[in-house]
Amino acid sequence: MAKTSPRPRAKPAAAARPAVVRDPDNMPPSHPVPAERPVFWFGFEVSWAKLALARAVLFGLLALDALLQIRHAPRYGAGGFNVAQLPGLGALGPTRSSYGIGQLLDAYLLVLAACGVATRVVIPAAAAIYAWLYFGSQLDSYQHHYLIALVLALASFVPWQRPHRARAATRVRSWALRLILVQLAVLYLWAAISKMTPAWLDGRALDQQVGGTLRALIDHTIGLALTSKLVLATELALAATVWLRPAWWVAAPVGILFHLGIVFTGLEIGLFAWLMIATYILVVPDVIWVWLGELSWPGAARAHARVDSADALARPHGGGWLGIALVVGVLLAVACRIESAHVVGVLLALVPLAIALLSKRNHSRAWLGVAHVLALGLWVLVDRGSTVTSDYARLWGGASRRLGELDTAEAAYRRLAELTPDDPGAHLRLGRILLERDQGDAGLAELHVAEEMEPGAARAWLEEARWLMRHGQLAEATAKAKEGTYAEPSNAEARQLLDTLLGKRHAPGAAAGGDADGDAP
Amino acid sequence: MIASVVASTIALGRTWRGRLILIVLTTQLLLPLRYYLANRDPHDERFAWRMFSPMRMSKCTPHFFLDGKPLPLASQYHEAWLELAGRGRFGVLEAIGADQCAKHPGAHVHASLDCSYLDAPARRFEAADLCTDPELGHGEDLPAPTR
Repeated sequence: MAKTSPRPRAKPAAAARPAVVRDPDNMPPSHPVPAERPVFWFGFEVSWAKLALARAVLFGLLALDALLQIRHAPRYGAGGFNVAQLPGLGALGPTRSSYGIGQLLDAYLLVLAACGVATRVVIPAAAAIYAWLYFGSQLDSYQHHYLIALVLALASFVPWQRPHRARAATRVRSWALRLILVQLAVLYLWAAISKMTPAWLDGRALDQQVGGTLRALIDHTIGLALTSKLVLATELALAATVWLRPAWWVAAPVGILFHLGIVFTGLEIGLFAWLMIATYILVVPDVIWVWLGELSWPGAARAHARVDSADALARPHGGGWLGIALVVGVLLAVACRIESAHVVGVLLALVPLAIALLSKRNHSRAWLGVAHVLALGLWVLVDRGSTVTSDYARLWGGASRRLGELDTAEAAYRRLAELTPDDPGAHLRLGRILLERDQGDAGLAELHVAEEMEPGAARAWLEEARWLMRHGQLAEATAKAKEGTYAEPSNAEARQLLDTLLGKRHAPGAAAGGDADGDAP
Repeated sequence: MIASVVASTIALGRTWRGRLILIVLTTQLLLPLRYYLANRDPHDERFAWRMFSPMRMSKCTPHFFLDGKPLPLASQYHEAWLELAGRGRFGVLEAIGADQCAKHPGAHVHASLDCSYLDAPARRFEAADLCTDPELGHGEDLPAPTR
């Protein structure tokens, strides 16, 4: 493959200033490019191996997290009520649909970022969408959402794209990376300060928060009080070391173990602990990533061959492959069952086209196509490999039912039954809402499906018995309640209903119907 | 040391990137101070980096009354909002009050919030009428439960 000379660049704007690269082969360390002052910020360098790995892992995880968040979409705009993070933004907060679309777009853009495609555009765009979703509503207002919003904003200023002919050891200079690390230190400092109270130090606060396998380990070893003190000490240590290169040999193992411990606490914080571990890619000393990087580039000759191949990839060719990728992308969008994914996925075909046509950096069109397919493929993977899509329908139906929006609840539960036809709970919920809407035959038919699918559970029998009782069919209701007790002899509710029916007494609450079926978020 | 910090700060102020760094640093160092120095709502730990703090373990029970009658919140607001109200988030409670005042012009919306803490006596926060005074009060200690 022919070697190409560097392409002439357009006049670099200040924001798009190319990364300062010191390649040991081309520029001896004794003559470094002088950094602006203060050097602490503007002279901060990491190896390309570290930057590339952080880019792939961090943005890949954030993309996955965005898709997993879609199950929360039904809470947004429910009942027409919203409180924004900042005063005055309430009316601009996301709704169910716009939240879902926002997270789909974010996931797509973050996969492009993970692949190194147009990072100067896609990361700020993803950061803006994430900021809107976060600041627009207090619904998901954990501290980690705030941290991700900040880190994405700062990441917009990092030169994530591969510098020309960069190798594993090539140093890339970035003040924004230093700022991300300092941001982490500030976080640890304030987190430690918040724990300087008797309730934390004596272990009472930890007692109520920690579960899982870590809790068992703590209880059988050092106890909660000592663990609480160790957590505080760890946070202070990380605040002092995470931003300081010479201290990375301490900060990296301590921080990774600390966040790995949080993974095993059983706390429901999604991927956050993993995201924190991923940020430690930036803290692990460069020499480790360079060493690992050079395992795949073992010799200078092969390294240059790889570099030349990479250069060739950067040429504007592969239009045919891009075309194929766009077709595959449309098929993936159609295969994705997440709400609005069809339309959004098809429209997103415009993104790689726009990048191919407008970007000054000559992206390989084949690689653009690969990134496009990977991004939409992740949608399908999450849709088919997790419960996000069915959770969305279930939570949407449950919230709508409780808020009295029965039309919407019926639509959501029909969708749920369509998505999970083998789930008895879906048929139960659909049957119940149909009965509430006076569609007796259709509702009973759904309950019968649930009864057949779930022979060891009483809940569908109970629903049917209650409905029959409300309609004065006491003999039929008694028979169904009996079936419920046979199906699930330990079910006290079934027994109580049967007693009520046999005694021909109308228990005040018996006809109300339960709601403990897991529709709450 | 101090001279070096001052010189660095001045140098940072000369470029847009440096000014951005200064803004981020100042915000991140000072914004959490707001929680400790000037926060009307002790339960609102947003932007303060108080992960896993003891305050997170506080449990609150909100009560709303519309012209003296209890307001059923569960049929009007999503559980996620009620969960935030159960954590004592004043902003959410006051927004619910404002929403009720808008839905029922001329009505009185009384709100109270009873909270228990790991490291402090239980407190009650009240607003006699959120339609005339849209903020919850400072709160008063509740008597300790008798055993």
